[in-house]
Amino acid sequence: MFMGKEKIIPILAFVIMIIAVTSNVYVYATQIDKETIAIQGKEYSIDEIFFITEDKTIQTNDGEKTGASLEDLVMKAGVICPSCSEYTIKAKDGYEQTVDWDIMKTGILAEEGRVFFPDTPKKFWVSDIVEIEVK
Amino acid sequence: MNKWKIIAGIIVFGSFWGFSEILIGSALSDMGLPTGTIMTGFFALTILVLSRMYFKQPGMQLGIGLVAGGLRLFNPFMGCHLCSALAIMAEGAIFELIWYKISPDFKQLKNTINQVSIGIITTYTIFIGGYIITQILTPIVAGSTFYIENLLVFMPSILARGLIPAILGGAILPVAFLIKKADIKIKDHLYYPATLSISVVCWLIIFGIWAIFS
Repeated sequence: MFMGKEKIIPILAFVIMIIAVTSNVYVYATQIDKETIAIQGKEYSIDEIFFITEDKTIQTNDGEKTGASLEDLVMKAGVICPSCSEYTIKAKDGYEQTVDWDIMKTGILAEEGRVFFPDTPKKFWVSDIVEIEVK
Repeated sequence: MNKWKIIAGIIVFGSFWGFSEILIGSALSDMGLPTGTIMTGFFALTILVLSRMYFKQPGMQLGIGLVAGGLRLFNPFMGCHLCSALAIMAEGAIFELIWYKISPDFKQLKNTINQVSIGIITTYTIFIGGYIITQILTPIVAGSTFYIENLLVFMPSILARGLIPAILGGAILPVAFLIKKADIKIKDHLYYPATLSISVVCWLIIFGIWAIFS
């Protein structure tokens, strides 16, 4: 016997709420909470990154931003072939964006742990970075 | 219902939605508030549901999404205009899919539990759908590459972020039904001038700001 739509609607809503709540618990439990950023298997603090890299100012569609040059950071991190690598920038909440060298070399890492690029939408400006994976 | 009345309804609701997305959405974003949650959970849902209740015309909400997305393309403020526009259009389409089987007299939604439930289902689904579409389109439109693994890794977060809009949607639907009970009617000789005027004002303001900022 089939259930009427009247009965299916609350069940579907309940399933959706279970999915949403479970996802929140999962995201909270798996969130990475650390003060350093991993690049090429090595952990760097923001202070260390600013110490070893050059400062750079870029113009974004949200105004002028200053921070550590990502181009310089990649070089100092010892990436063997920067132009033939891709870079996945990962946030502590699981958000990540992968960019190629053409985008990566234009960017900066700001003191608040967020990357900015001059010619990309805001979705590429990953916040609370915990890792830059070189592929 | 008269097709011109429906077309005028599509234009006025779509214009108001697009207008809200640009001006209110940008203001909320500047204030650091969760723009997507509020815009989908409140504005989009209210506009889509009220228009469905008053006109009882399946397919109309897809048109409203197309008009709103069209206006969103002229957002003078920052952001990926095309991605947001397509996400709004997708929200209208997703709404149509969910409400396709709801009868025109809303007999499945007579009790409050079902009204709350359909609010949760609708808002969660259009929020998640819009979010995923933006995640896919943004890199493509920006001239970069879309990486499926970037989306898959972030899926739990996207599913989690739909919780607040879903709760908001669940609260708004019964209110929309109460508004419907008020049975507000506009006479024909006032309907067309009113809808036309509101639509023109929305488009003129956005074009004006767009011309100033571009």
